[in-house]
Amino acid sequence: MAAPIAKVPVEERLFSLVLALLATETGLTKNEILSTVQGYRQRYKASGDNANLERQFERDKDDIRDLGVPLETIDSPGQVGNNQNLRYRIPRGAYELPGDISFSAEETTLLNLAAMVWREGSLSAESRRAVMKLRGLGIVSDEPVLGYAPRLRVRDAAFEPLRSALEKNAIVRFAYLKPGEGEARVREVAPLALVQHQGRWHLHALEPGTRLTKTFLLRRIVSQVTSTGATFAAPVGDQTAQALAELEEVWDSHTAEVEVTASSDAAARLAKRRGTEVVRDGVLRLHYSDANIFADELAGYGPEVLVLSPPVLRAAVRTRLSTTAETHG
Amino acid sequence: MAERQAPLQAQDKLAFLLSLVPFLMEHERISVQEAADHFDVKPQAVREAVELIAVSGIPGETGQYQHGDLFDLAWDDFEENDQIVLTNLVAIDDAPRFSGREAAALIAGLQYLSALPENADRTAIASLMTKLARGASALPSQLGVEGAESDSTLALIRQSVEAGLQLEFDYLNARGERERREVDPLRVESVDADWYLRGWDHLREALRTFRLDRIDNPTVTDKPISRRAADVRLPELLFEGSDTDLVVTIDVTPSAMPLIADYIPDGSTSTEVDGLIRTTVRVSHYHGLKRLVASLPGVVTVIAPDEARRVVAEWAAAGAARYRDDD
Repeated sequence: MAAPIAKVPVEERLFSLVLALLATETGLTKNEILSTVQGYRQRYKASGDNANLERQFERDKDDIRDLGVPLETIDSPGQVGNNQNLRYRIPRGAYELPGDISFSAEETTLLNLAAMVWREGSLSAESRRAVMKLRGLGIVSDEPVLGYAPRLRVRDAAFEPLRSALEKNAIVRFAYLKPGEGEARVREVAPLALVQHQGRWHLHALEPGTRLTKTFLLRRIVSQVTSTGATFAAPVGDQTAQALAELEEVWDSHTAEVEVTASSDAAARLAKRRGTEVVRDGVLRLHYSDANIFADELAGYGPEVLVLSPPVLRAAVRTRLSTTAETHG
Repeated sequence: MAERQAPLQAQDKLAFLLSLVPFLMEHERISVQEAADHFDVKPQAVREAVELIAVSGIPGETGQYQHGDLFDLAWDDFEENDQIVLTNLVAIDDAPRFSGREAAALIAGLQYLSALPENADRTAIASLMTKLARGASALPSQLGVEGAESDSTLALIRQSVEAGLQLEFDYLNARGERERREVDPLRVESVDADWYLRGWDHLREALRTFRLDRIDNPTVTDKPISRRAADVRLPELLFEGSDTDLVVTIDVTPSAMPLIADYIPDGSTSTEVDGLIRTTVRVSHYHGLKRLVASLPGVVTVIAPDEARRVVAEWAAAGAARYRDDD
């Protein structure tokens, strides 16, 4: 039996709140919750100030919603607009996984792998919970034939604040340093999607001033990302697909021809980049997204690569190699 | 691969409770051990969760948590036999949906893994993503990863393990030496766009890590595999330090620190010198170092030892010399 003494653990209070709100059709008022639900009722003062308890309830609602539990508020019958008498409930249909959704053992194996990809940042917690829910469905996953340990990095400091802004449709501000520009410029944008392309994270965003969408490379964001306090109307359509399609288009339109030394590291690895064509023996045509970033990559190959075209890339690689030679001479 | 799980936070514990209840409803009787194995948690975590579920419920008509408003458990069976049998159920009928963020993390993870042979059936993957989105309580947040073609080397690696036969391939190491290697594949790992094979190298008689993009002409041999993943303890770190590693002092632009974090050993000290971070990296030889430093021009500078500076300078100068007629 529930002991009405001692401190009720947090998870017990949260669990009791979910059960109580799932069981009610018409909803419970805040007062009903605080005075009757396990974990609150022990601290409820029938005549007195419950401000602390109310704040606790507000935080608990956020924690529960964070898990994907659709906690909603409805007006009390006949008292539309009366905030004091709002009723809280969790509608069963929006809470429960639709009955026609099930996952095969094979699919479960794939989803476990997909979850494993996120091993750092807040997405690792999300993945862990998703796997927990998946396991609750009782499916036993196939042991993969070959072990995998995939990992996506989220090392850019801007990632978490942007992801959070993305969910809140919050307009953000940050300083962005474009290569070739001496100083960073402050941008104010509405984040639409975060996408990884060619191993790098990009923000696809709308500039409210110009109504133009732009793509920013996260590693070029040189300040903290701050919220402006303003929000924007959630965009319709698949912003992620749009962002990736645009990045792909850029990547597709930029090509370079490079000469690679036979049986060198450059010859082996550049040949295996996606989309590489052999122009003639020892000459490869490569796609790239950004001349500055690609120049860094090519400079790493030292004398194994000679850039034939375009001239801007050739000059960029040459400058980089000279700089490195000078700073180490 | 069993990474040790951190202790669960209250939110995680709630997610566990909400997932465990429908699971126990499906299994009218299950042992604590079986449930723990299924959820990959300690048996004690299951016991604590079951004890909590058994005394939980809804306030009910009376607002007093009467007996019928609570879950109940066959306590004797639980306490004496470690068996879980729920005898009364309340409020919960079914498994919870994914949150929008959870679904987004899984969808982006699937996109990232599109090169795996397991993901070759694109229609099946697309339908799986649709199911995730439909099974979420909110629209999955806008997170995406570029897909990739199925990778033929990955497919061969899988074939080799499935058939229990060694994989053979030409491998060019970072020193520029090319050799035919015979390997028992143990695990495929990746970090962003870079993919690696870890396996037992029969030539070296040791565990080795191979970059997939340095592997050429792979074939499955007719020689049986001698070591399987279960027989070998693979170190968690992709690149393990060794006693023969060379320690190099470098100056780094602060914003570039994340780019070289993998090379900085634990416990190494960093100091700030003229707005740059002075730190140490460990490398197995200077061939790798010269490529790394040359790919971070103006961002990373080798300070010591002189030999390392010389190797980097020569590498970059040789590269620059290829453009000497440009002026």
